[in-house]
Formats: sequence, C-alpha cells, structure tokens
Amino acid sequence: MEKIMSDATSAVNVGSESVKTQNQIAMSLKDVAVSFNGKVAVRDATFDVTKNKVTSLIGPSGSGKTTLLRGLNRLHDLTPGAKVTGQILLEGTDIYRGDITVTELRTRVGMVFQRPNPFPTMSIYDNVVSGLRFNGIKKKSILDEVAEKSLRDAALWESVESRLKVSAGNLSGGEQQRLCIARALALDPEVLLMDEPTSALDPIATLRIEELMVTLKERVTIIIVTHNMQQAARISDDCAFLLMGEDRAGELIEFDATEKIFNNPKDSRTLDYTLGRFG
Amino acid sequence: MTMIDELVPQPENASTRDAIRRTAHAHRARRVAISRVMMILCGIALVLTSIPLVLLLIQLIVRGSSQLNATFFTKLPQSPSLVDPNAIGGVLNSIIGTLALTIYASIMAIPVGVLTGVYLAESRSKLAATLRVIAQTMAGAPSILMGLFGFTLIVKYLQIGFTAIAGSFALAVLMLPVIAISTEISVRNVPDTLREAGLALGAKPHKVSLKVVIPSALSGIVTGCLLAVARAIGETAPVLLTIGGGYLNEWRPLNPVSALPLSIYMNAKSEWPSQRAQVWGIALVLVAFVFVLSLTARIWASRKQKRNS
Repeated sequence: MEKIMSDATSAVNVGSESVKTQNQIAMSLKDVAVSFNGKVAVRDATFDVTKNKVTSLIGPSGSGKTTLLRGLNRLHDLTPGAKVTGQILLEGTDIYRGDITVTELRTRVGMVFQRPNPFPTMSIYDNVVSGLRFNGIKKKSILDEVAEKSLRDAALWESVESRLKVSAGNLSGGEQQRLCIARALALDPEVLLMDEPTSALDPIATLRIEELMVTLKERVTIIIVTHNMQQAARISDDCAFLLMGEDRAGELIEFDATEKIFNNPKDSRTLDYTLGRFG
Repeated sequence: MTMIDELVPQPENASTRDAIRRTAHAHRARRVAISRVMMILCGIALVLTSIPLVLLLIQLIVRGSSQLNATFFTKLPQSPSLVDPNAIGGVLNSIIGTLALTIYASIMAIPVGVLTGVYLAESRSKLAATLRVIAQTMAGAPSILMGLFGFTLIVKYLQIGFTAIAGSFALAVLMLPVIAISTEISVRNVPDTLREAGLALGAKPHKVSLKVVIPSALSGIVTGCLLAVARAIGETAPVLLTIGGGYLNEWRPLNPVSALPLSIYMNAKSEWPSQRAQVWGIALVLVAFVFVLSLTARIWASRKQKRNS
C-alpha cells in the first residue's frame, strides 16, 4: 500500500501528463461520450484517474459531470435510449465491452449519491451489509466483521455502535450519508464515485465528509462531482473541468492537477469559472 | 444582483409605481370577494353531499342496532310462521359464509394481484401496457359481470356447482385489478434513488425489486389489499349467482354457503315484516366490517407516510 502511495505521489509531482505506469491508473477514459436518444449530453472526456487520489469533476450545471460519472459504473444501462461511446478502462479492462459483468463492475466501482439514500426499511447494520447480501455473502461472522470495519472507515462506528438494529431513517442527514459511504465501502471497491455527496448537508456535516475522503483515499480511489469549487480545491488532487458547448452538450475543457486548474489553467474559460466570473 | 434586476420589472418612475399599486389593490379586493363566494358554494355542496350519507347512517344505526342481540350472532335463520311471526333466528351462517368467502378470495387474489402489480410497475414491455389497460377496464366493470363469469366457468362449465369456491373465485376476479393497480402505484412511488442505490451495490434487478422496492412499498401494497377486501366483502352480485346460499353453518370450499349481502337480498324480499327488519341489522354488521377494514387500511397508509417523512 505504501509503495503505491509513494508512486502515486511522485507521479503528481511530475505533473499529470507525465509517465504514469499502467498500474498507477485506476480508471482510464478515452473519448468518452454519453448520449440520450441520439442527443449528446457529454463528450470528449479523455483522462486518467490515478490510484489513491481524489479526482474532482467540476463545471457549471448542464456540463455533464453527473452524466459522465454515472457512465463509470454503467448506471445508464437501465435508461432507455442512453448510449455510452468511447472507452472506459478499469485496471485495463473495458467496462462496456471487456470481460466483466455489470454486477462485478459495480462491486468494484462503488457509488455515493447526491442525497443520502439509505434503504428506509432496513436497519443500520442491514444497510451496511446489504451489498454483501445482494452478492450472495451470508456468513454472519463475515458480515459482522465487514459491518464494523466499514462503519469505522466511514467514521460512524462510535455513534451507531449501540444502535445497529435501529432503522437507518433515524440518523441525521450527515450520518445517513456516512452510512451510505460505509455501505459502498463494505464491498471493498477499488474506485468510489461520489455525486455531489455533500450538496444536501450542512457545513459541519460537509466538513466531516471531506475529512473522511482525505483519509479514505489511502484505500480507495475517489472520483467526485462537486459544484463547490472550494471543495474541489481543498480535497482533490486532480481536477477535470467541463463546460456546456454551443450545442448544449457538455464537454471536457481540461484535465490537470487541481493546483494547476485553479492557479494556472491552460484554457481561459477554466480560469473564468474558477474565479467565479460565470456559472 | 444584476440577475435580480433583470427579473423584476422596474417601474420607470413614481407614477408607474403608483399605478401598479392601485391596480394590485383593486385586484386583491376582487380576489377576496371571489374567494368568499367560492367558499360558500363549497359549503353548500358539502351539506348536499352529507345529507343522504348522514340520513342513511342514522337510519342504519337506529334500525340496525335494535336487531343486534345474542341470537342474531349465534343462531341459524328460522322461518317465521303464523304461530310465531317473530321467529327469525340469527345470521351466523351468513357471517361464517362471508368470512370464508373473503378468506378464499384473498388467498386467490392477493398473491396474483400483487405480483401483477409489481410486474406492471417494473416492466416497460408491450404486455405490461396491455395488461394495465385491461386491469383499469376490469376495475371499472360492473360486478355482476364477475358473478356471471364465476357462474359460467365454475358453476356450469367446470360443473363444480353453486359453491363457496365459485363465489370466492368471482370475488377474487373482482379484487384482482384493484390490488394490481394499487400495488403498481405503490411500487412506482418508491424513489428511483433507492433502486439506483441497490443497483450501484452490484445487485441484480430482481434482487433490487425483492429486497429494496417491495419492502419499501409494502405498506401501500397492504393498504390496497385491505381496500380490495373491504370492497369484496360487501359485493352482492358476484355471490348472488355463485354461492347457492343455505341455512347451515357452512364454510367448506366445495359446499354451498351463505353470505351477508345474500341474506340482505333474500330477507328484503320476505313477506314477513320481522325478516325485513332484520335486514338493517345485517347491513349494520356488514358496514362495520367494511369500516374496520378501511380504518386499518388508513392506519397502514399513515404509518407509511410517517416513515417516509
């Protein structure tokens, strides 16, 4: 683990266009585009997501950040008329055409949604282990162990330890979101997709989730969509900036180390956006 | 700031602003007047609706409650004679028959109806669209049709005869579309974010339906089933043509049974005033059954709302 960490760190120091070896890249996107009934929603997404880093997707509303993110665990599969083109590689395997089932993909690429969505009919414990149960793991000793570990990793164990059998609906919004993070972590994913995970939370709950992300990246690669530019600047290592084009389709404007995106971007539109001149 | 300035019309000068205020004031007065007239009309409509309902209920309670006694609930019907014109006995056979019919009909209709509803909600196929139209049409079809169907298929064609099973089949056909439609609505009302949460954990779609969607929709499904039972319990037409009636405490599926709506129908035609009076008691018991079921359904529904909030 430490070896990977130091490799990844050195890669960023050289700059994200640098010579990253294959095993430092968690996901690789090439010319990815998503369209609905032939209408392009987002296109031109080409970038590499480095392992054990936080990669943020920023841009104004309608720039296709969430649409792109949902392509990474094939959540568009069930939307009639949705089509994902280009190539998305997870550890070198094409997630749409390669030798990987959609259910396996989703256990390896977890997701946390915009609004906390714990299963309301399940207890806290049942929520955390639901992913394991969906995938056929029933042994209680394993479930117990994973539940505790995931809740600890999501910084929720202390506050819920004594009430694991209580309905998840009794938790506060911030706790519910950390429960959803624990639920995703229970499957030990390689990549965690987070779709504006703090937009429905108050500033204190937001801060706790942000702190969590920084510690979590030691064990999981994080890709986060955020509207909050300070958040992207605070927590992400790499940053993709998207913008709505003339034909109302989102497109990738630039991808680089977060520091460069905010301080010295190549494209003037990136600077205009991060300085708050529009969007 | 500039955004807001563009959205709100800015009066050119003070006189324009005055004109806007004056017009708005006059408009407000007119709105209040219209509102008052509408409220009065609504009140009148409410009274007109309530009169027949309240009169019926009072009549039912006053005339019905005098019929209710131990004999009513524990004895079989008797035939009055000139010697004893008030020997009408009780309606135990009809109570037993109605309970048996309702239970058999529920056993037949609830599993099929609920599964159909889940299918209607989760499938986008042509078959689902067609089924939905059929279910909606069936839900509005007159109940005598179900009676005729049960009579033709079970009593005549399958030669099973006038039996509890024929009656509960007719009632089940009546309940099916009601259950399917209400299940479909409850399942559809489960937020997509929960489905996505399940799928994003690598669950197969059928597991998401079974472990996430149906449990979340359960209270709505139960409410729909209870309302369907409440409707079936009071239906007369389907049982009239199928159950055969009888004056014994019968509940077995392959025997003729009696039912509360049937004994209302029979007693109402009686030449004995004592039997005609008993109709009110039977009706009161029937309404009480339906009331309890509807109340339970409401409690279930409110539990659901509490949990979702």
